[in-house]
Amino acid sequence: MTIGSGGRVEPAPGVPLAETPPIVSEAAPAAAGPLKVKRGKSIQGASRLGWLFSAPAFIGLLVFVAIPIVLTAWVSLRDWSGFVSPFATEYIGFENYNDLLFQDGVHRTDFALSIRNNFYYVLFVVPMQTTIAFVLAVVLNNKFLKKKGFFRTSYYFPSITSSIAVTLIFLFLFQTQGAINAILPGDPINWFDNANGLFHNALGVIGIEDPPVWMIENEFMGVTYWQWIAGPSVAMFAIILLVTWTSIGTFMLIFLAGLQSIPESVEEAAKVDGASTFQTFWHIIIPLMRPTIFFVVTIGLIATWQVFDQIYATNFGGPQKTTLTPAFLTYFQSFTNSEAALGAAIAMLLLVVIMFSTFLQRRFIKSTGGH
Amino acid sequence: MRHRTFVVLVLLMALIAACGDGGGADTTTAGAAETTTGDTEAAATTAAGAATTMAPEEGGSLEGVELSLWGWSSSDAENAALNDLVAQFSEETGAMATFQPQAEYDVALQAALTSGDPPDVFYVDSLRLPDLADAGALAPVPDGAVSNPDDIFPSLREAFTYNDTWYCPPKDFSTLGLIYDPDVLEAAGVAVPTTWQELAAAAETLTTGDAAAIAAGTAQAGLSMGVEYARWGAFMFQNGAAITNEDNTAMTLDTPEAREALEYVAGLYQDGYAVKPAAVDSGWAGEAFGQGKAAMVIEGNWLPPAMEADFPDRNYAVAELPSGPVGPGTFAFTVCYGVAADAANPEASWALVDALTNEEGSLAWTEAFTVMPAREAAAAEWTTTHPDLEAFVAGADYAHRWGFVPGFGDVLGVMNPGLEGVVDGNMTLDQVIADTTAAGEGVLGG
Repeated sequence: MTIGSGGRVEPAPGVPLAETPPIVSEAAPAAAGPLKVKRGKSIQGASRLGWLFSAPAFIGLLVFVAIPIVLTAWVSLRDWSGFVSPFATEYIGFENYNDLLFQDGVHRTDFALSIRNNFYYVLFVVPMQTTIAFVLAVVLNNKFLKKKGFFRTSYYFPSITSSIAVTLIFLFLFQTQGAINAILPGDPINWFDNANGLFHNALGVIGIEDPPVWMIENEFMGVTYWQWIAGPSVAMFAIILLVTWTSIGTFMLIFLAGLQSIPESVEEAAKVDGASTFQTFWHIIIPLMRPTIFFVVTIGLIATWQVFDQIYATNFGGPQKTTLTPAFLTYFQSFTNSEAALGAAIAMLLLVVIMFSTFLQRRFIKSTGGH
Repeated sequence: MRHRTFVVLVLLMALIAACGDGGGADTTTAGAAETTTGDTEAAATTAAGAATTMAPEEGGSLEGVELSLWGWSSSDAENAALNDLVAQFSEETGAMATFQPQAEYDVALQAALTSGDPPDVFYVDSLRLPDLADAGALAPVPDGAVSNPDDIFPSLREAFTYNDTWYCPPKDFSTLGLIYDPDVLEAAGVAVPTTWQELAAAAETLTTGDAAAIAAGTAQAGLSMGVEYARWGAFMFQNGAAITNEDNTAMTLDTPEAREALEYVAGLYQDGYAVKPAAVDSGWAGEAFGQGKAAMVIEGNWLPPAMEADFPDRNYAVAELPSGPVGPGTFAFTVCYGVAADAANPEASWALVDALTNEEGSLAWTEAFTVMPAREAAAAEWTTTHPDLEAFVAGADYAHRWGFVPGFGDVLGVMNPGLEGVVDGNMTLDQVIADTTAAGEGVLGG
């Protein structure tokens, strides 16, 4: 798993999984085949050819991924407004990081809020999109289902629609007079303009209106305990629904490819052994799909930690900063607040967050893996 | 979808990397151009730098000089009008000037400045001026480069003055005014409000339902106004208060005057007589007004063209903002033509700026539009063609500038969401004042 590149770019299916063989053999059988044949003849020639063929991709990675990461890291240590050449700026050590992590002030509060918001976003979106996509794929993989092409296309359609266009439609759906409020009971609200936390609202339903005083008076990184646990705001939840709806199509296709590569004979063998449909699904299909699930969750984690378009197109981080995310904060600090170096530092910290969460997720999937 | 930010950063870095050569090449071409035209004077001035006194109206001295003017694009009509003015300048002087509107203006300008190859002349919003001036990206106005500078409204010159240096002449300006529906006011027997009490009373009388009903189009709000300092601040001025002192060296938000003004405005929302646009499904107050969801809004010169484009049948009139206990007060929003500190040909650049902002140029530019010329004489002339917008011009006399110090965006970033919280009922004004003051002291160092 090349985590370093994972933070920057959504890797092509074959790239990040170089160390997880099951998918690679699926994703790039053509590449694996001829190499094996040549290895026997002339290892030297093959390796030279290998370098030659991978050179375009390698140069692309170097110029558009590796060098920018290094430059971003370098720039984040300088006092750079973004209006002059960064090479003409002063080295200020870790001051930007200190500002974001330890120094009491707006920058730290904003960063903490953005991490909080994005954490809840990831917490909701990744499980939702993975489960729904998996279920849809299993349904579509049913050999008795008619008109598969129609369903495949309709589910995939949101994924290939411009995210800005989808976001604008959702703005209308979720406004006070929108279709969603017309269906739901209760007072109509403008979802995208509501800063109340979901958990906060849920507690209100069971009669807990006011948070305990100690949770408001104490804070971590400039954000009160209550704000930390209040959950995603209603506005963020609307974005969560939006993104889940648009991304399930893509992941459904990946799951479908995985399901179709499971030989029918395996399922038949299970049936012969007397396994029920559920047992086959739970004990046969899911374990066999583990590499694909790992891939989808990894890609999902990386993508959700970088959410930007939907934030930009709705509220620029509002209402009350409850949809502020690190990626949007990077944009804001770099291009509208003349703090480009601070923006770079946020981007680097986001990289660390993504590396860490991918690492955790990897450990988790391994530990639940039975073998 | 997910990595736009990174793509932008990557592009920025690629640009920096690429420009080691690019900048050099440009310098050579510029040098070559000067030699071929044989214009020793231009070459000498360039060498001497921008500080030299210049006489911009020397015919022919700009023969063949290429000039780029960057801005954002507001409408096709404005682009066409500016193109005409720039073409006229080129014709008269022999220069080859072009207007190049940029889509993502801030990002494009930043990339150009960072790479050391900026456009010669570019739009600078008064809010952004301190950042650019502080970074040394802007050339100060040389003596004599801008004709008759005393004719420019003092508050607008001040908006482009940072650390006692004047950087650029304003392109045009807008102020905030009270825009209302004369038919609705007349039907309700409400006079155009001129004081805080009258505004509150008028808003109360004109409000016919709650936010849900207004959003549904079955009722109307008395007043709709964005929840942000760029609107509420006008009421603070009317009470003799402001977020910072005159020199932007200390926060002055925690004063009885400021608190009183904020309480007054917040009260309008809390009583249901003012609504924020989002609460009634509108993108901004002008849209709420156009849709008939509000009888009065507080917006600026950009409202009439928006009405024409989206709600051509909507009847409206403009009045000055009501006066507060201390007096009148409003904001002036303005943009100037800045000349890059690294401009290849400062003399030609300033000649273009002057042609666009002198009395004749500023009037030609604003005549067809609703933005106002930044010069007093031209503004008086402008009101004869825009009599219905006279209230906006009147605001120029007591308008406050919209500009602070570098990094002040963080402070507004604390205040505006806080004010939203006050309106939504999940924050108190005391909290907002305390948080904003703390944030401001961090930025101002006080």
